[in-house]
Amino acid sequence: MKLSVFDIDNWREIGATLARNKTRTFLTAFGIFWGTAMLAILWGGGDGLRAALSGNFEGFASNCAIVFSGRTTMPYNGYKKGTYWNLRTSDIDRILLSAPEIENVVPSSSASATMKYRDKTTSGQIEGYGPEFVALMNPVIRKGRFINDADVASRAKVCVIGESAASKLFGVGDPLGQFVEVDNIFYRVVGVVKSRNMIKINGPLDDNIVVPISTLMSIYNRGTNVGTMFFIVRPGYTPADIKDKVWRAIRAGHPMISPDDDTAISMWDISEQFKMVDNMMTGVNVLLLFVGFSSLLAGIIGVGNIMWIIVKERTHEFGIRRTLGARPTTVLRQILSESAVLTVIAGTGGIVFAVAMLGAANLGMEAAGQPAEFQLTFSTAISILFIFLILGMAAGTIPALKAMKIKPIEALNDK
Amino acid sequence: MISLKNINKTYPGAVPLHVLKGINLEIERGELVSIMGASGSGKSTLLNILGILDTYDTGEYILDGTLIRNLSENRAADLRNHKIGFVFQSFNLINYKDALENVALPLFYQGVSRRKRNAMALEQLDRMGLREWSHHLPSELSGGQKQRVAIARALITNPAIMLADEPTGALDSKTSVEVMQIFRQLNAEGMTTVIVTHDPGVGEQTNRVIRISDGLIV
Repeated sequence: MKLSVFDIDNWREIGATLARNKTRTFLTAFGIFWGTAMLAILWGGGDGLRAALSGNFEGFASNCAIVFSGRTTMPYNGYKKGTYWNLRTSDIDRILLSAPEIENVVPSSSASATMKYRDKTTSGQIEGYGPEFVALMNPVIRKGRFINDADVASRAKVCVIGESAASKLFGVGDPLGQFVEVDNIFYRVVGVVKSRNMIKINGPLDDNIVVPISTLMSIYNRGTNVGTMFFIVRPGYTPADIKDKVWRAIRAGHPMISPDDDTAISMWDISEQFKMVDNMMTGVNVLLLFVGFSSLLAGIIGVGNIMWIIVKERTHEFGIRRTLGARPTTVLRQILSESAVLTVIAGTGGIVFAVAMLGAANLGMEAAGQPAEFQLTFSTAISILFIFLILGMAAGTIPALKAMKIKPIEALNDK
Repeated sequence: MISLKNINKTYPGAVPLHVLKGINLEIERGELVSIMGASGSGKSTLLNILGILDTYDTGEYILDGTLIRNLSENRAADLRNHKIGFVFQSFNLINYKDALENVALPLFYQGVSRRKRNAMALEQLDRMGLREWSHHLPSELSGGQKQRVAIARALITNPAIMLADEPTGALDSKTSVEVMQIFRQLNAEGMTTVIVTHDPGVGEQTNRVIRISDGLIV
């Protein structure tokens, strides 16, 4: 008795059995097809959803907070209640000195701006930053470089422009070395940037122009006042941990703020927002895992159920085969090979269907202006196929083993 | 060819059923024997034991020089495949395989190549006068044709013995006569044949009638 996967005769026998029992084959195949397709769609869709969610924040320093200046709400040190105060550049050094947990302080100032280059104009914001901005937003430097320390120190009239502003002003031309005019001041373009994420600080970065913060402050007569400050906290600490230190440092430079005035300084803890997003992602993951596992389970139960019916239905046939000299293991191998062949073919079909569906979803999202990446990686597809193959065959083994325990004569009498 | 000594068989249950109560039987090579008895007499159980489809409790069964006792399922399957040709009342053809494939199936389990076993199956069908029907499904054949396909399938492994269980039970009288003629012809060519029947007309056409009643040969 020769029996091996390389024996074409066995495959012919399996193929013939499958081909001659079209309804049964079709129903089983459809169950597997549907199971794999659902699982693959969920998996690919879930990955796409996760990528879309995390893409919103990609590159952004999540462990940070923003500090805003404002008005006092209680009289202090002879200052009246309601006195305005402003964050100043001098606050930066004090904050960094008093809170070593802070990695970077990123001051930010901005004004609305109309950018001009020859006869082209575009509107956006003119933003003032130092090189620390890169640590905050991690933008893609498309061309040239970002603002550096030397630019800030010398109040250089240089700028980095957002990618879409650049294309509006320069078309396909090279902006580097050209001069962009904002409020009658000409800034030499040293770089082109593109945001990695969907976070907007002063409107979309891609529409804006970034100049050294010192330059912006002097041109727009801000004195030493900066608009807002981001501070990025070292890993292991949270903005909430160091809030008191930061506030003490700020109060030290602003005598109008009472130590009891809790609302004069406002802080927005972005890390808290990220925690929420993280929780949401975890929720999505758990949901996908649950739904995926359920559909897998349903698929396996379906396959197992069909296998059980098939084995029941074919008990008589197996009885004939065993009477004619088929060993129990031979019949068992035949049943399992049949289900394996079906699983591979129908499962591949299901995955192809899922990829097509995900592709259609991508096109739909693109048409709706929300490009997404619903994709199924090759390894995921293979894993799904293997999971179905192994679990499906395991589900088929139980009824098959049971069928083999029946004596041939009983199987023969089963009708 | 067949030697049974004091074969006992009891079906366990709430009320155990002692079906065979010490069967002694010798069948020589080339014999055409019928086993006759009323239903419930134990004749089917005896045939199942002869066909290694069922086991016996005590006694000794030697088939073509081989002691049949405590065989593994694999060994039993191999012995059935090589030594025994089965013919059943209800034909037991596989309904989704055509006549040729049904006849060739025992050789598939011997690992005979497809080309060779199909050639051999066609030869057997030809011998049964069914060459033209080789690609018909069982559902497209008459009862007599189906039984002839089953006989061809039983013959293809050139077995030591042919066991037939009520081979004419599902056939009309004319077809029954034809099928019995085939058995007689095969016996004339040397095939040892055991036919289980309750039909005296069938028994008459065999060379020896063994009557079984209430689990004993009478």
